[in-house]
Amino acid sequence: MSRKASGLKAWALQRLTAVYVGLFSLYLLLVLLFAAPDGYAAWRAWLGGPLVSVAMLLFVLAVLLHAWIGVRDVLIDYVHPIAIRAALLGAIGLALVALGLWAAQALILVRLA
Amino acid sequence: MKFLVSRFNPDADARPYMQAFEVQVQRGMMLRDALLEIKRLDESFAFRHSCGEGVCGSDGVNVNGTNKLACITPVSELKEPVEIRPFPGRPIIRDLVVDMTQFYQQYKAVKPWLVRNDPMPEQEILQSPKDRDRLDGLYECIMCGCCSTACPSFWWNPEKFHGPQALLAAWRFLADTRDQATDERLDALEGPYKLFRCHTIMNCVEVCPKGLNPTQAIGHIKNLMLKNAV
Ligand code: SF4
Ligand code: SF4
Ligand code: FES
Repeated sequence: MSRKASGLKAWALQRLTAVYVGLFSLYLLLVLLFAAPDGYAAWRAWLGGPLVSVAMLLFVLAVLLHAWIGVRDVLIDYVHPIAIRAALLGAIGLALVALGLWAAQALILVRLA
Repeated sequence: MKFLVSRFNPDADARPYMQAFEVQVQRGMMLRDALLEIKRLDESFAFRHSCGEGVCGSDGVNVNGTNKLACITPVSELKEPVEIRPFPGRPIIRDLVVDMTQFYQQYKAVKPWLVRNDPMPEQEILQSPKDRDRLDGLYECIMCGCCSTACPSFWWNPEKFHGPQALLAAWRFLADTRDQATDERLDALEGPYKLFRCHTIMNCVEVCPKGLNPTQAIGHIKNLMLKNAV
């Protein structure tokens, strides 16, 4: 993230991802309440649908991005020694990327099955 | 009425401590009068004040945990014992007197004056009444510092985050139709610190003795930035 983009862009992305996460969570809740797939196979089939799997992948990405911006904000506020902040940012960034990759491969596997 | 006042003499004390005073209160007494009374009891006690009517902005203090102007705070509204401390997060010079240098530096950094590229007109730069109305709620700031020193983001990054007072001032000039430096002003506010440390906590709005709304001004700046970026 360039220095110029790190203010407005991060702020706008945080809002944008929040909207998507909110809407998709609502959709998930409605599915769970009123049209919950019955059993493992049905769940796989539901998640493997082209629309749902793409929307879910976007959802995971949005959650991770939102988390990244939030964690970065907290660290900028409270952790001032630059080395410690960089180390924490690096570790959390790696963890988030790992989570994203793991979710993506799970979704791809479901899609292929 | 019982008052607990924060005392600190840099030459003698390792850290601030609270000292109790009993003050005879009168009808209509303001907190500034009580502080003056305390100064009569102990002349080594130091605090800032001047106008006595909420105009100069020099007697901001932290009263029972909230930043207020002493001269327009009736003591009858305060819970006993009244705990009076200097503004939080500022280096203490003595007793209730704090160092506001960073606060003024942040104000200066937003270039709080009209910038014109066009040649100056012979007389005044005219403005319609409607355009003038945009400045209401912005120009009235008396720079007391109640807001910025109540802002957690300013506590953590006072050297980099402009704080609510300076950002209100920034919007005051962005909103002014006579100003011609919108792009430069917005560019200068970019980055993670100067503007975007504000997390809309709204402490600033709660404490402003002039009833101003820095949070809203900050929101306007962010939206204008977004509009200019897309
Ligand atoms: S915005 Fe209000 S609280 Fe802040 S410095 Fe101005 S008058 Fe004081
Ligand atoms: S709204 Fe922004 S400027 Fe006001 S107190 Fe909160 S963080 Fe500070
Ligand atoms: S003494 Fe001037 S604002 Fe209170």
